[in-house]
Amino acid sequence: MPLELNEHTASLIDVVTVDEVESLVAWLRTTSKPKVNLRRCNHMHTGALQALLLFQPRISSTPTDAFLATQVLPLLRGSSGVSSAESEPP
Amino acid sequence: MTTVMLVDDSATMLMSLKSILTKAGYTVETAGHGKEAMDKLAKGVKPNLIISDVNMPQMDGITFVREARKAPGMRFTPMLMLTTESEQTKRNEAKSAGATGWLVKPVGPDQLLGVIKQVVPGA
Amino acid sequence: MNPLLAQFLAEAADLLTSVDEGLLQLERDPGDPELVNEVFRAAHTFKGSSGLFDFPELTRLTHAAEDLLDAVRSGRLALDSGMTDDLLAAFDLIRGWLAYVTTHEQLPATAGPAAQSLITKLRGPLGGEQAAPDDSASAVAPTAVSDSAPGWLSAFETEWLESTASWLVTTSATIRFARYTPDEGCFFRAEDPLHLVRQVPALAGLGLIQPFEWPPPETYDEYQCLIGFVLATRAAVGELNHLFRYVPDQVEIVELDGAAIRRHLSGEEPPPRPAQAAAEAVVQSQAQNLELARDAYAILAAAQRSLTADSPSGARLSSVAHSVAAAAAALGAPAETVEPDVEALTARVATLLAETPAAPEEPPPAAPPPPVERATADRGRADDPGGQVGTRILKVDQEKVDHLMELVGELNVAKNGLTFLADAAEEEFGSRVLGRRIKDQYSGLHRIAEELQAAVMDVRMLPLSVAFSRFPRLIRDLSRRLDKTVELVTEGDDTMADKDVIEALGDPLVHLVRNSLDHGIETSAERVAAGKAPAARITLTAVADGDAVIVEIADDGRGIDPDKVKRKAYEKGLISEDELEALTETDAVDLIFRPGFSTADQVSDLSGRGVGMDAVRASVEKLGGTVTMRSQPGRGTSTRLRLPLSMAVTQVMVVSVAGQRFGIPVDLVVETVRVPAAEIGRVLHQDVVVLRGEVVPVIDLARVLDMPWTPDPAADQRVLIVSLHGQRVGLLVEQFHREVDVILKPMEGLLAYAGEFSGTALLGDGLVLLVLNMKEVLSLAARTQ
Repeated sequence: MPLELNEHTASLIDVVTVDEVESLVAWLRTTSKPKVNLRRCNHMHTGALQALLLFQPRISSTPTDAFLATQVLPLLRGSSGVSSAESEPP
Repeated sequence: MTTVMLVDDSATMLMSLKSILTKAGYTVETAGHGKEAMDKLAKGVKPNLIISDVNMPQMDGITFVREARKAPGMRFTPMLMLTTESEQTKRNEAKSAGATGWLVKPVGPDQLLGVIKQVVPGA
Repeated sequence: MNPLLAQFLAEAADLLTSVDEGLLQLERDPGDPELVNEVFRAAHTFKGSSGLFDFPELTRLTHAAEDLLDAVRSGRLALDSGMTDDLLAAFDLIRGWLAYVTTHEQLPATAGPAAQSLITKLRGPLGGEQAAPDDSASAVAPTAVSDSAPGWLSAFETEWLESTASWLVTTSATIRFARYTPDEGCFFRAEDPLHLVRQVPALAGLGLIQPFEWPPPETYDEYQCLIGFVLATRAAVGELNHLFRYVPDQVEIVELDGAAIRRHLSGEEPPPRPAQAAAEAVVQSQAQNLELARDAYAILAAAQRSLTADSPSGARLSSVAHSVAAAAAALGAPAETVEPDVEALTARVATLLAETPAAPEEPPPAAPPPPVERATADRGRADDPGGQVGTRILKVDQEKVDHLMELVGELNVAKNGLTFLADAAEEEFGSRVLGRRIKDQYSGLHRIAEELQAAVMDVRMLPLSVAFSRFPRLIRDLSRRLDKTVELVTEGDDTMADKDVIEALGDPLVHLVRNSLDHGIETSAERVAAGKAPAARITLTAVADGDAVIVEIADDGRGIDPDKVKRKAYEKGLISEDELEALTETDAVDLIFRPGFSTADQVSDLSGRGVGMDAVRASVEKLGGTVTMRSQPGRGTSTRLRLPLSMAVTQVMVVSVAGQRFGIPVDLVVETVRVPAAEIGRVLHQDVVVLRGEVVPVIDLARVLDMPWTPDPAADQRVLIVSLHGQRVGLLVEQFHREVDVILKPMEGLLAYAGEFSGTALLGDGLVLLVLNMKEVLSLAARTQ
């Protein structure tokens, strides 16, 4: 399952597709102080990202996927996704 | 296992796309026109991607995409239209009907497999 | 041969046939949009498949034909006979090529020049249409680096923008920025914007566009896309255009240098631009800017004219190539290195012209609508359910129609129940008045039920073309294998019949057509020797005839030799020596339908032996139809199938024998007669009755069905006269009842093997009626005599 929903923590695993968005949102709606584990996440659908932006759960574990870690995680933390490593001259 | 449904009235086209996809490890379902494809969807075939021709008898590709979007479980399934380079307006129509994108005929293996990777996350 | 090529060749033959037919019909009826569309579709499919093989001339030629047909289809051009000639010539040339490809697997060496002259002709009406602009071709400048940064750049962090600007200035480099604003419903086209962003090559920075105000969590719709992205990349504009090609209206791309970013940060105005460089600054994925598109279109049209008119070479050719490249860039088409030869350039120009959105035919209005309006219009259209013009068509599941049909059947059964009730009211309760009133109610209900039934039947109707559609291909394949030349003509394709009838018609028709090709039609050599045209003709005709549809398969082959048939039948022991002498020619031909008959001297791999014409007759009769065959030796054979328009409801005459009721299809019933027992005579062990001078054999149905019953010799005998294959037979029954409409169900269980019954039906009083298969009953009678 791409989505493991526990009492306080949700784990996003491998590719989270649009089909998982509904249950993720339902879980975020009903969970107080939700935490999200992104460690094993390789991609999340835009709908999932949007839900994380709206509900602002705590990211308990950061993704190992390079794109998610360098570009998307900063967006979730409220800064723009510019990574210092990438802003070198071409 | 990623299943691709091919819809085209040209058996030649079906044969060529099917051989590319099968070699790349995809499961392939084929249909000769939109009506047949709808019947397959109604019978529970659930593709991860649909590739359909535009000009077909019985039910054209754009109508098919519009109908297929309403089929159970097909709301978010990527659907690509097979078009020729001159079918610009058809592409816009197809997008309005719910198509994700298009392929330009003749479709080579690189183009086909590249687009699948582009529109099907995790394919 | 490569199986894909073999498949293409097989399919090509069909497509070419429909193109030819369509074009010829179009010439007669040039205004028919459906016809144009059909021809276009065939040419289009042909071109699509041809591209799979390395036959560039073939693809180019079909492309030119397709473009011309597309112009006709869209109403931009009226088809004249000159164009039809060119189109027919093009497809004739292709047919010749394909014959060559079949044996050599490559195009003939002459293909290039032959194609070129036709392509030029086909493109003539298209190129000539465009009004050439007066001004010269150099107005379009290649895409420039923008001096003014869009406001959305502020979605990036200031610090990052500053450092990026400073290294851009240092290195005199530029960087590409894109804003991607997915529309709200994009998830429902299976778009995943984040997945697309992930694929941006050489991503240097990513920013988020959040909604101005997030909805409260309770009303949040998770399937509505509310966010967007801004991104910076070192990838080329072309790469970005390619990646975002499916969502061009959601993406804006701009190329900036360090100075422009710094001006954005300090809030400065861009420097005044020289008039010369007034071309669009923002690179848009597709040429959304109308003015730019119009100029580019004009250049392309001019280039096309120059290419077709005076075949430029040398410096002139390369200058044309240059202007085409500039126009292509302006249109946002991917760069394509084109060899500076006339052919390649012509093709390139044609492609670009075809891609360019609606070039205006008149001079541009003073103020073209701003692109913004266009974008909103497009967006509005996406939500539009699709305004339909003309009749609204409802698409319904076949199952639902079938269910409706079943309900109509049950209504009929319930309706029939009223007549039993009326009888009961009269006979059991002695109330004639009540009986009459029930019958009045019945006739009102009957009328409504009939109309309802007709309406549902109408929904189930399909044109015969559905059944005919497989034959062009079948005939082509078979005639090639048999080395015979056959032309197929279909008439009355639009005759309608119930879908069940159409489906059931398929196999018998295939069998008859195969038979005709195999046995009826001679080889071209034999035909020429017999003074006939080398190409044979098979005609499939459908006509409606009241409640029936008549389908006729006719060929102009060698016909059937009645003497040969008779001899064969005699040799096989199917007829007696007397019959050999006495049988008329028509009856002799009919022998072909006898089980175990085959006229071919040798068993052919096509129609084979055994499953012969008797199987055809049996399956047609199972549908409640008849088959007759007529033949003129040396002139051809025609087989006529007469089928009920619908199979769902059958009218049967109910009779009873030994207290048991049976149904007989009304189609077969000629009359009901009562004759005194004494008038039933006996000739050669066969009971007969003489009706109006005709001797009709009488069969005791009870005896045939093995039911105990002895008719009262004092009373009049009831005889039902039926007609089967033109022959009259009387059935001795106990009692006649009424005619009823029933839904015939196939036999199940133990009775499935009882050939004398064709099915069962439920009667209004709940009893099950067995419907007789008259043909089987008669042959059973012949055996039990």
